[in-house]
Amino acid sequence: MIVNSLRLKNFRIHKNSIFNFSEKLNFIVGGNGQGKTTILESIYLICTTKSFKSSSDSELAGFESEGYEVSATVSEKTESDVKVIYLRDEKKKRYLRDSKNITRISDIIGKFPVVLLTPADSEITHGYATERRRLIDSIISQSSELYFEILMDYSKTVKQRAALLNMIREKRLSYLFDELDAWDEKLVKEGMELMKYREKFLTGFNEYVTDAFRQVVELKETPVIRYDSIYVNGYDTPEKFSELLKKNRDKEIYRGVNLYGPHRDEFLFYLNDKLLKSYGSQGQHKTFQVALRFAQFFYLKQILNRTPVFLLDDVFGELDQNRSVKISSFLSEIGQAFITLTDFSNYQSLVSDTGNSCFNIEEGKIRA
Amino acid sequence: MSLIEPLEAVIEEFSKFPGIGKKTAYRLAIYLLRRPAKDVTRFTDSVTSLKQKVTFCKRCFNLAEGDYCMVCSGLKRDGSKICVVEDITDVMAIERTHEYDGLYHVLGGVLSPLSGVGPEDIKLYELFNRIREENVKEVILALNPDTEGDTTSMYIVRNLKETDVRISRIARGIPIGGDIEFSDDATISRALKGRITISNE
Repeated sequence: MIVNSLRLKNFRIHKNSIFNFSEKLNFIVGGNGQGKTTILESIYLICTTKSFKSSSDSELAGFESEGYEVSATVSEKTESDVKVIYLRDEKKKRYLRDSKNITRISDIIGKFPVVLLTPADSEITHGYATERRRLIDSIISQSSELYFEILMDYSKTVKQRAALLNMIREKRLSYLFDELDAWDEKLVKEGMELMKYREKFLTGFNEYVTDAFRQVVELKETPVIRYDSIYVNGYDTPEKFSELLKKNRDKEIYRGVNLYGPHRDEFLFYLNDKLLKSYGSQGQHKTFQVALRFAQFFYLKQILNRTPVFLLDDVFGELDQNRSVKISSFLSEIGQAFITLTDFSNYQSLVSDTGNSCFNIEEGKIRA
Repeated sequence: MSLIEPLEAVIEEFSKFPGIGKKTAYRLAIYLLRRPAKDVTRFTDSVTSLKQKVTFCKRCFNLAEGDYCMVCSGLKRDGSKICVVEDITDVMAIERTHEYDGLYHVLGGVLSPLSGVGPEDIKLYELFNRIREENVKEVILALNPDTEGDTTSMYIVRNLKETDVRISRIARGIPIGGDIEFSDDATISRALKGRITISNE
């Protein structure tokens, strides 16, 4: 997919900006708070209906404006006009594709695939397991609607079961134990499906991560994501999973939490057989984060048969110049990318020769 | 806006209805005020008798006028089949098809610990009693295919394990008149998983 042009009306600091993009690299240059990331945010909005910054729509709309309007011409096999309109008064957001109202989110997700690399990605390698599960879940969900559906259902089951465990802790009534049997069965059934999906996904995805390391980072280090789950630790059938729950029932009731299942899964990142989280240098962490996003890019491209748009937010500031230039030239060969930078002096050479574009942003306007 | 007390009371009552906001409640109240007295009396009478005369069936907890509902007191119904549903509106939906000739059992809810609904809060034990006491051969589970509906189905199946009744669940998948092409992926995946053999049986 290619974003050909973009228009922002009252979108954060942008009052009325029009962009005509290159099909390759688009460098967006400017100081802090001038509206660079906002451009990436609007492209992300067009692709997913949401901002990547957990901001509400009223925050996205410019100060004292009636609402915002983001429109774009995108081509994916054919060209279409996509518009996202939000009006403060209606408190409602509308998503239009070729002037037709789109109401189902599944009609949009995966149609315009997008991959985002931001400084916030450091949470994926440094942070809690939740962050890694979120990454893996979002990639699988973009390629399988069924997985997404089971995942939603499962998270409801986890909440319901926790409520029941707490209820049992307070009043140990026999019929509640009866009910717990049924919730166990539900947890096992969906949990098993999720874990099966994850294991299968990881087997394939690891190859993409390895390839990303070779091609993008050009390092001879061997990366691998290992699945740490009850599923790979001997509980790989519904019967075994149920038994595990039976055996630990008292413990779960005592704590009032669901102690076993895919919501407790961990994905461990290794570099040359060493655990990244414990032994990795800052540089290795950064490289791993970059490789994960490139792996996501190629994986989605393969599965969806559509080329995702690549958004890189202020990433080059954290990498050495050599590596950044290498990544840029690789990016320009694989598709369209949007790269925000504060300092362009080191990348001047990239614009002139390859049909890339550069936009200087100042206070929400393009400076000629 | 300050109104005279009786008018305000009616508006207050109307706005408790589902889908009725303050403005609509106001319009309805003004409408009643403008009607002739006998029309209003007829309206209030019908509402009063709704609560007085409509009861729940003693057997299946469907709506009834008297002890038993129209289905349970129907002559041509097959008493060996019980279709388990969550709500009376589900009975109405299935009855509209004229395809089902068995009886119903309305649970009046599904298991949901988060909202404090357990097995004793819905008509589950009544269902198990019926299966023990009546000559039931088949139980058809027609609960909504969501987290709570599924778990309630599982609970019922577990409790009927010792009996010899046949248990089935209504099919889920691609709707009639729907194209496979236009169905969402999750529905197609589920329909494939729940496929049925039609030859070599």
